[in-house]
Amino acid sequence: MNTEIRQQISQVLGGMGEELDITQKQYEDAVESYKAVGDWLSRDGSPLASYKPEILPQGSFLLGTMIKRVHEKDHVDIDLVCRLSGLTNGWTAYDVKMAVGDRLKDSGTYAGMLLPEGRRCWTLQYAEDRGFHMDILPSLVGENYFVLMERKFSDMEMENVRSLAIYITDNQHYNYFTSTNPLDWPLSNMFGFASWFKYRSQVTMRKSFSLNESVKPVPAFNRKKLPLQQIVQILKRHRDIMFDGDDKKPISIIITTLAALAYNGEIDILTGLQNVVTTMHNHIEHRFVPSTGKRHWCIPNPVNPTENFADKWVDCREKENNFWIWLKQVTADVAAIADQDNVPSLKKSMERPFGDNLVKSVFEQAGHATRGLRESGALYMSAGTGRLGASGRTSVPNHNNFGRRE
Amino acid sequence: MSRISLLHQAGALRAYFPQSTVKRDGEQSLIWVGKLQPSALGGIYTVKLHYSRKDGVAVYVLDPKLLLAKGATALPHVYSTPKQQLCLYYPPGNEWNPGMWFVQSIIPWASEWLYHYELWIATDGKWLGGGIDHNPPQDKSINQQDLVDGTT
Repeated sequence: MNTEIRQQISQVLGGMGEELDITQKQYEDAVESYKAVGDWLSRDGSPLASYKPEILPQGSFLLGTMIKRVHEKDHVDIDLVCRLSGLTNGWTAYDVKMAVGDRLKDSGTYAGMLLPEGRRCWTLQYAEDRGFHMDILPSLVGENYFVLMERKFSDMEMENVRSLAIYITDNQHYNYFTSTNPLDWPLSNMFGFASWFKYRSQVTMRKSFSLNESVKPVPAFNRKKLPLQQIVQILKRHRDIMFDGDDKKPISIIITTLAALAYNGEIDILTGLQNVVTTMHNHIEHRFVPSTGKRHWCIPNPVNPTENFADKWVDCREKENNFWIWLKQVTADVAAIADQDNVPSLKKSMERPFGDNLVKSVFEQAGHATRGLRESGALYMSAGTGRLGASGRTSVPNHNNFGRRE
Repeated sequence: MSRISLLHQAGALRAYFPQSTVKRDGEQSLIWVGKLQPSALGGIYTVKLHYSRKDGVAVYVLDPKLLLAKGATALPHVYSTPKQQLCLYYPPGNEWNPGMWFVQSIIPWASEWLYHYELWIATDGKWLGGGIDHNPPQDKSINQQDLVDGTT
């Protein structure tokens, strides 16, 4: 197929990634809000102050793959970690969880926003105008943690990444109330996963970065995402439209992991997306599990291979089936999009999978962008065809379309 | 501003668009008919540029018949919807004069108009190309005056 057409479809899909992003205002509000929580937990007079509590983003906010909700008025979840260090006074996980909760309840601001205790998190429900709620996971880091954070990430050093795991508080864990040794607590490695994801997203660039860089307290708000980030955003949107409100939909961590494994450094979103949807199934293993005597689907956590992101499929066939149905559908939809050769049909091919309003706003942004190029003298026309673009034989001078608008 | 000879304008049009046709009546008038495709995903449009020293520039989309966005009753930024005559620049603004090459002004603007026309359809009637609105009746006399060679 014509490469120029593919490039243009790619631009439209990239534009969709941008439209899916939370707004800069939402981003800034979220950062301001969680910094304020961190400040309240760590300031002088806080019983937690000596454990240097920090509030850090995790999940899609940290990965840069957060997307708007299908119903834009619905709140977005922002996943945060409350990370304590230097705890030596024999606290159980329960003590840590309660200390964080109690400190939040001591605040005139947060007491009224705090929802009942969750299994792992405390949730703060922000007012309508902020449009989000924050899940705060109390956790603890080991002794050498901050030394490890300075290390560099590479394929050879997965061990470093594995050691980024932190001890979390889970009120259903068998020793939640009893063990004062964090080594017995459940582990989670969201920061290792973020480092791995960043590494996968830069697979063609092979840029070296310290682990610290990938888990900054305030990840840069970057309107210009890397292709892998946009591909994940597009896939999650497809999932959200297809399974609107269904809690048995394919989960984001599975989509994100498989996309990152399948991604092969494509710069062009269309090519990347086609590759990802057609090969992501290759990264799902069918493992024999001795305890059940059966083979089960397994999507190992890349930074903790003993964890299976598809573990819920064993007990819930519907979750497994939904994943395969979704993968088949998104593969077909991406193939159909890649087949289009004109604006109206491209728009139509995107509407059902991604939503009419979103698609309309993608084309609207394309128009604004082209106008912006022309106004800055960066729009060109090719001879022979009259095609417009960032290069061509002659620049398009500034002018005002004159005339009636009906 | 020194006026570019129509001989040279015709030569430039042919050089840029070898498949197009150019008819010239000395230095009095010129008609160019060519195909423009505003983007790789764009339609292919047959466009006519008609210049005369007496009446200035007029640009028409000859083919295909243009569609209207959902809810619209006329095309945006045109002198005439039935004739598909495009408004490409603001006459009182000195944006175009006969010292400018058609291939570097009117033609790219026509392609840009077509690009935004396609998005106008796709966005159900949002014109994203910028420009200035006017009411045709009262501006008619100004248009004619300003479109004439050398008077702006």
